[in-house]
Amino acid sequence: MNDDQSGRLAVAFARETARSSTARLCTACVEVLDVTGAGITIMGGDQAGPICVSDPGFAALEDLQYTIGQGPCRDAFRTERSVHAPRLDGNAISRWPSFVELAQRSGIGAVFAYPLITTGAKVGVLTLYQQYEGVLSVAQHEDSIVVCEVLTEAVLSLHDEAPAGTLAPGLDEAVQYRAEIYQASGMIAIQLSIPVADALLRIRAHAFAHGETVAETAALIVSRRLRLPNDNDHHPEIEV
Amino acid sequence: MSDDANDRVATRQALTATAFVEIVDTLVGEFDVIDVLTSLSLRCVELLGAAAAGILLADSDEHLRVIGASSEHIHLLELFQVQNNQGPCFDCFHAGTIVLHCDLDSGSPWPQFAAECTAAGYGSVCAVPLRLRSRVLGCVNLFMEGSGGLSDTDVVLAQALADVASIAIVQDQATRDAEIREGHLQHALDSRIVIEQAKGMIAENNSTDMDEAFARLRAYARNNNVGITATAQALIAGTLSVTAVGPRGRPPPPPPQR
Repeated sequence: MNDDQSGRLAVAFARETARSSTARLCTACVEVLDVTGAGITIMGGDQAGPICVSDPGFAALEDLQYTIGQGPCRDAFRTERSVHAPRLDGNAISRWPSFVELAQRSGIGAVFAYPLITTGAKVGVLTLYQQYEGVLSVAQHEDSIVVCEVLTEAVLSLHDEAPAGTLAPGLDEAVQYRAEIYQASGMIAIQLSIPVADALLRIRAHAFAHGETVAETAALIVSRRLRLPNDNDHHPEIEV
Repeated sequence: MSDDANDRVATRQALTATAFVEIVDTLVGEFDVIDVLTSLSLRCVELLGAAAAGILLADSDEHLRVIGASSEHIHLLELFQVQNNQGPCFDCFHAGTIVLHCDLDSGSPWPQFAAECTAAGYGSVCAVPLRLRSRVLGCVNLFMEGSGGLSDTDVVLAQALADVASIAIVQDQATRDAEIREGHLQHALDSRIVIEQAKGMIAENNSTDMDEAFARLRAYARNNNVGITATAQALIAGTLSVTAVGPRGRPPPPPPQR
């Protein structure tokens, strides 16, 4: 079997796995790379959504990076390089204070983020979580790079099959998961007569100030139990 | 070998090494494929003592097109073009092997092509395939002033230069394909996101739920013969007022009968 063949076979298996249940894709990463947990996020610009996590506990960590706009996942996507945090020490704390706090509370000792990248395209990030501190072995690092190549191709080829302008089932979950966040930004844009992009920032700020995830704040807004005050008003926020 | 001949060999080896290092260096980073192929043509002329060189690629209809040449001289370009009917490039592309003709003056399998070459002052010609495994992508075409063609060593070097050109072409195509595919994915992602945002705007403005907001967005798009994504984008950008989309248009069509 040559490299070309094994590559194609790997992509085909990954694509089929993603089609049936995307959560399996992360479980497979955990097994193959021998790590505690894994999460796959597809991203476009500032918009992001997890496709899957190997364990629901990691969803909060991926979500937090979206909430506060900081974390290894975002850094890996932006720099197009893998980001290694073998210890969540002073260096990591100064880079991503809130992320490290939640990671430590979740019993995570080390985090590694790899961009899902191919020549000319980047589609997201694979984040690996380790219970214990310590660097990845050379084999783990090399395998992670190969896994990312397979995942990138699997994501792109899954999408190739979807009708033009729509997302393939499986990838759709990445947006569906955040649908309420986008809906809430539209609502706040009208409430406060501000651009949608600013509305999202307002929602993020509210979530952060109240110790909620962006998704939780958005759910309150969409169910009309929360309105955000206008900057010019001095009314307190109305939680009905 | 005389000292002179030794010096020439040494100079050529150095030039060859420099050429390959330079080309490989270019391929590592981002590169413009036309730029790389044009400089490869110039290197062919310099290293192989050819009078002119060009790189031809087959399009999806198997029509050979010049993509890089050592000179933009019109006679040279015509010589490439005419080979879609007959000539060494035509034979090289279809057989996938090197075609070398050392004396165009005395009898050639391509009379029309040979006559035009002689008129342009070329005495011999060579075509080297651009190969990718079993596929032939096109060829490198070399024109020499006198008869005699190329030495065996030159032919080997020409094939090596052609192989580098193939790598550049394949790499460039892979990058373009990936960019297009990523573009489609990002477009679909963005499209879903702006639709959700527009639903939020309409729902808030009309005190409806999200399903009703989506029905109104769709009705507006349909009645005005624009796409849903385009309507949503116009709302987000503020070029379309939410009050224009808000009121109920025609009632949405009944669900299809099962």
